[in-house]
Amino acid sequence: MSEKANSFFRYLAYTIELILMFALSTTPGLLPEIFGAKPVLLICVALTVAVYEREIPSMLFGMAAGILTDLAYTDNIGIFAISLTIICFIVGYAANNLIVATFMNFLLYAAVAVSALFMLYFLIRFIIGGIPDPWSYFTAHILSRMIQTFIFSIPMYFLNKFIYSSLSPEI
Amino acid sequence: MKEFFQSPKIKIFLSVLLVLIMLSVFTRNVENNIVSATLNTVTYGLSKVTAAVAEDKSGEKSYDELKEENELLSQANRELRARLIDYYSVKEENTRLWKFYELKKEHEDFSLIPATVLRRDSNDEFGSFTIDKGTSSNIGVGDPVISDNGLIGWISEADLYTAKVVTVLSPQTSIGAVDKATGDTGIITGSSKYAEDNRTMLSKLDADNKIEKGDIISSSGSAGIYPKGLVLGEVIDIGYDTYDTSHYAVIEPYDDISKIIDVAVISGYEGQGEILVPD
Repeated sequence: MSEKANSFFRYLAYTIELILMFALSTTPGLLPEIFGAKPVLLICVALTVAVYEREIPSMLFGMAAGILTDLAYTDNIGIFAISLTIICFIVGYAANNLIVATFMNFLLYAAVAVSALFMLYFLIRFIIGGIPDPWSYFTAHILSRMIQTFIFSIPMYFLNKFIYSSLSPEI
Repeated sequence: MKEFFQSPKIKIFLSVLLVLIMLSVFTRNVENNIVSATLNTVTYGLSKVTAAVAEDKSGEKSYDELKEENELLSQANRELRARLIDYYSVKEENTRLWKFYELKKEHEDFSLIPATVLRRDSNDEFGSFTIDKGTSSNIGVGDPVISDNGLIGWISEADLYTAKVVTVLSPQTSIGAVDKATGDTGIITGSSKYAEDNRTMLSKLDADNKIEKGDIISSSGSAGIYPKGLVLGEVIDIGYDTYDTSHYAVIEPYDDISKIIDVAVISGYEGQGEILVPD
């Protein structure tokens, strides 16, 4: 296949992943809650796409994942759309130019990015939002969601590694 | 690095970011805006499918219940063969309406709009969800939302075809309530301490209140926002807040709010907007 065809099918695969993860995340009762929370699967997709793709596609998939996550949260474009766009652009740049995304490096990227995203969400929604007793929510929900999102990004990393190696421009 | 900051990539990145920030400000400040409405319309179909899957999945039933359901379904299947294709949607609507039939009989003045949970915000700590009816069905912000067991929340945002429901578990909620047995009044408002256990709080109680465990709490209708007499739940504990030196009761709604599928919105009722003066 030509480079363009490879890229097209790769982006198509990522798009299908995003739609599936949005459906999985928003279907009531489909994913079990572990310690009062579920993983945010769209973040896993966006981060794993970002370690393989260049900056602009990474940013665009980050933006799409962010908008869908915001839709699931609040019906408005907001914190996740903006923060995932920024983080995916940075990860896309770093993985291509600074630290190559081996599995261990990906774990590092994922840990930093997931922590940053959820801390920002917690800060804006709970601390600045003035919700009483925010730390009980942090320990009861946010922390669990953060860890689960990180863990779920590992199988997603291997899935997107497979997609990228099967449909990479070099082949 | 210097080259990177002068590259077209950075310009594209900053442009996209600027557009997102503008859209974010726009969607938050403009009610019924075209961006949110378009995004909701795009995801509407997908959410409808996932909501249907959830509805199928919601029945964890015993063998006898399944057997009985199977018999009912077989019978329904025989009838359905002879009917037109749009019978499915009519039947579904009827099933939803039936849940609220008794309530409608009790309160003939209620304008009830049945709705289904379209998607649930799995990340919201207070159980908010989105329903499949919006302003096109005459639903407006502030309308009470009920289940067949009582009042469960209110509409916080409404688009053309969808609306967001904030539940009684949320601290954003403030509903005048009364203990049916003792006549004590207070304010139903969610608390981060109790929300995860599907419980809410009846706060601002008088120091000499006579509330007891097991009492049923219902809406007082005093502010003209929520109709009088809608059941909110049962008292399961009574406490004293040393922080703001007030008495409160812990209320457990009769529904597990995180699992509700069918609801109804009260878009109008007799006495709406009228403030009741206590005798």
